[in-house]
Amino acid sequence: MSYDLIALFMFSTMMLMLMTGQRVFGAIGGVAALAALALWGTGGSDIPFSASMKLMNWYPLLTLPMFIFMGYVLSESKIADDLYKMFHVWMGPVRGGLAIGTIGLMVLVSAMNGLSVAGMAIGATIALPELLKRGYDKRMVTGVIQAGSSLGILVPPSVVLVLYAMIARQPVGQLWLAGVLPGLLMASMFIAYIYIRCRIQPELGPVLPPEERRVSTREKFRLLRAGLLPLVIFATMMVPFINGWTSLVESSAIGAMAAFVAAVLKGRMNRQVFEVSVRQTLAISCMFMWIILAALGFGAVFDGLGAVQAIEGLFTEQLGLNPWMILILMQLSFLVMGTFLDDTAMLVIVAPLYVPLVAALGFDLIWYGILYTITTQIAYMTPPFGYNLFLMRAMAPPEISLRDIYSSILPFVLVMILALALIMIFPDIAMWLPNYVYGK
Amino acid sequence: MGPMIRGYVRVVDAVNYRIGRIMMYGIFVMVGILLWSSISKTFFLPSLWTLEAAQFAMVAYYIMGGPYSLQMGSNVRMDLFYGEWSAKKKAWVDAFTIFVLIFYLGVLLYGAIESTSYSLEYGVRSRTAWRPYMWPIKVVMCIGFFLMLLQAISEFFKDIAVIRGETL
Amino acid sequence: AKPKIRWRMQTYAGPALAEHVIKPAIESFNKIAGDEMQIELYFADQLVPTGELFRALQKGTIDAVQSDDDSMASPTEVTVFGGYFPFASRYSLDVPVLFNQYGLAEIWEKEYAKVGVKHISAGAWDPCHFATKKPINSLDDLKGKRVFTFPTAGRFMSQFGVVPVSLPWEDIEVAVQTGELDGIAWSGITEDYTVGWADVTDYFLTNNISGAWAGSFFANMDRYNALPEHLKELLKVTLDSSHYYRQWWYWGGEAELRVNGSKMKLTTIPDEEWAEVEKAAKVFWDEIAKESETKAKVIQIFKDYGELMEKAGRPYRYS
Ligand code: NA
Ligand code: NA
Repeated sequence: MSYDLIALFMFSTMMLMLMTGQRVFGAIGGVAALAALALWGTGGSDIPFSASMKLMNWYPLLTLPMFIFMGYVLSESKIADDLYKMFHVWMGPVRGGLAIGTIGLMVLVSAMNGLSVAGMAIGATIALPELLKRGYDKRMVTGVIQAGSSLGILVPPSVVLVLYAMIARQPVGQLWLAGVLPGLLMASMFIAYIYIRCRIQPELGPVLPPEERRVSTREKFRLLRAGLLPLVIFATMMVPFINGWTSLVESSAIGAMAAFVAAVLKGRMNRQVFEVSVRQTLAISCMFMWIILAALGFGAVFDGLGAVQAIEGLFTEQLGLNPWMILILMQLSFLVMGTFLDDTAMLVIVAPLYVPLVAALGFDLIWYGILYTITTQIAYMTPPFGYNLFLMRAMAPPEISLRDIYSSILPFVLVMILALALIMIFPDIAMWLPNYVYGK
Repeated sequence: MGPMIRGYVRVVDAVNYRIGRIMMYGIFVMVGILLWSSISKTFFLPSLWTLEAAQFAMVAYYIMGGPYSLQMGSNVRMDLFYGEWSAKKKAWVDAFTIFVLIFYLGVLLYGAIESTSYSLEYGVRSRTAWRPYMWPIKVVMCIGFFLMLLQAISEFFKDIAVIRGETL
Repeated sequence: AKPKIRWRMQTYAGPALAEHVIKPAIESFNKIAGDEMQIELYFADQLVPTGELFRALQKGTIDAVQSDDDSMASPTEVTVFGGYFPFASRYSLDVPVLFNQYGLAEIWEKEYAKVGVKHISAGAWDPCHFATKKPINSLDDLKGKRVFTFPTAGRFMSQFGVVPVSLPWEDIEVAVQTGELDGIAWSGITEDYTVGWADVTDYFLTNNISGAWAGSFFANMDRYNALPEHLKELLKVTLDSSHYYRQWWYWGGEAELRVNGSKMKLTTIPDEEWAEVEKAAKVFWDEIAKESETKAKVIQIFKDYGELMEKAGRPYRYS
């Protein structure tokens, strides 16, 4: 079989298997195992297992269970309640203010965990019911929470950037710092969008009724202190890391402990919270790890059968495009693949194909990591396949239909594409901070 | 469904449930090792074994915990079509496609056994200064893959039961 | 057209280093062999993680490997000597002399045949220096440094307080930045600059624990035996050209970058102090020699060779 044919065969078989709704890791791993046995030749049967040794060597993956645990402790213990109240009181008087406050909440939550799960859980359980009760448009707020929680993977710490760092062999510290300003930029753009939209259509985000706005100044400033908690947790984790006192994985363990201790000190750690956090951490870690395991196996088989060469040849020779067009085409292909491929699998299978190409085209791999992460965020929330969509569906109250969820994200996706374009045109948005801190 | 199959599902699910409930506390083992690593590095000499021990713990955590996560249904599926189907239709399709999963787990287990027996035969040690033997973690992986395989077969029986309108 | 024979070769090197140390040789091979045979080159850990590499080679999952015996932990009597055996060589020319004139090639060939692997050839690669984030000016500065190095070198250096760490080769640069490592004792300065380690470390120690390492090409025995004679010959000649490339690339590169490189500051441990390390190496050799007959034989060869070089005087040895 020619390389092109192998590439086509493996991808289409995997796609077909995924369509059947079988567990993603089973579909990917099954196709990998089949291709290894049928096409590799001698010793191909060992490839799926040797992927598990590869996974073990990917030591930064230790941060995955840590950040997941941190996220569950934060959302289950409801220590984010006060944070929400802070925004509620301070932003309530503005049109669309509660939605704007929710974005602020999401930024703070993002700084305390590495995935979008926690933001989604906090948003759906704390913010969503409050906003609906006060007459906010359900589509608008559903979109706000999905878009806001996706900041979790752009604002440090970020698990997606850790995975990217391992694939692209780029320093995690610089990648994380590169995500800060784009994350804040995107949050500001979300806020601008909400503000403008609510000026035009005030019924989408009414101001708080006067009786709710009557809060003493003292109380207002007391609530402001709630904002300290995420800063303390963030600092406990990031300061030793950036200074090189602790390594990445050590810092993530410190972060997990800090969240746990915070919940205990605030008297929110009970049996129920403990049980859910520990159990769900296992469940979600296993979900990710088994997909990564299968995808690493798939990647090695795909590579060893020469299919990677077919893909590279397609982009660099056969299409005859300039570097920027290739880059844009790659970003678009992520969005298309995001419709049938799970996000984690996409990262582990597709990123290794593209990263060497991006480097060969002369682009900076740290900068590309940020473009890549924003694209992943978009994939996370666009139907039919999106981790944030799954979560939203599972967590949203019944009055929010699947249609609402799907249509709610459209304006936010447009805003994200705009942000993506800005960072492509002005790379310094991403690169300034890491260059400043690491002094290049 | 015959009593044999009922018994199989009951035993496999119970064993994997217990193991999973123990493995879920592995998060604290990992946290503990990494905290010790930070402490020893800051106040004494860095420990030789911490990073590798944490890696072993991570592997045990997700491979031995895998069957329990399968039981809980926490593995994502692409539900573009699947999500719309009735329980019976899902079971019908799963009853076929699960063999792809079973096949994958079989190949994983085969590779793991090969690699483990090699490690035992040559006494393979890790290349680090700590130099732990590699076979213990590989044995753990073999057991984990085997339990995962048993769990996948149990899921298959449950699908058959749904198709026949029975409860197991 | 599809080649009649297709081999997969995995090198220990990542893409940036492979550009020099292996790619030109494989390109020559492929150009000459044409439709008869093609070798596809894969980088460090790309198909199989290093820990599983030797088994994959024995089994035929991978057809050929470029590595040193030590890093891939080959289950042979000569494993400890691959890579940087402490102070076994002074110059890169020592290695081919030891293999071709002092009988190491035959020993290696025999040891690998026992485990179903063809040892094609060994060559001299670069010297082993420390590249670190903090300066090393005395043996004391080595204490507590977490350093990526060869297993045997690590075992030897741990008596001076070095904490050896093993990670996938490709993750080293990131690990230095994430704080998992304080430095690297793996290569000469040419490699530090080529693969990007010079960007993450600031100091280069001019003392080395070995003047050159022994690295080899290996093939799965059955796959090798199945080749027609002329392809075996072509394989040997083109792979030797990779060893030759290293001879001038490192020899010139080390001098040039020490003098004109701007990314790393040079530091030196005084000769009298470093002599302690050299003395410890002789003790280490004797310990290794006790482990088996084959090891004793190799150590004896090192000793005989070293003695002869001392007697030959300048330019072979200066002390
Ligand atoms: Na984050
Ligand atoms: Na998507």
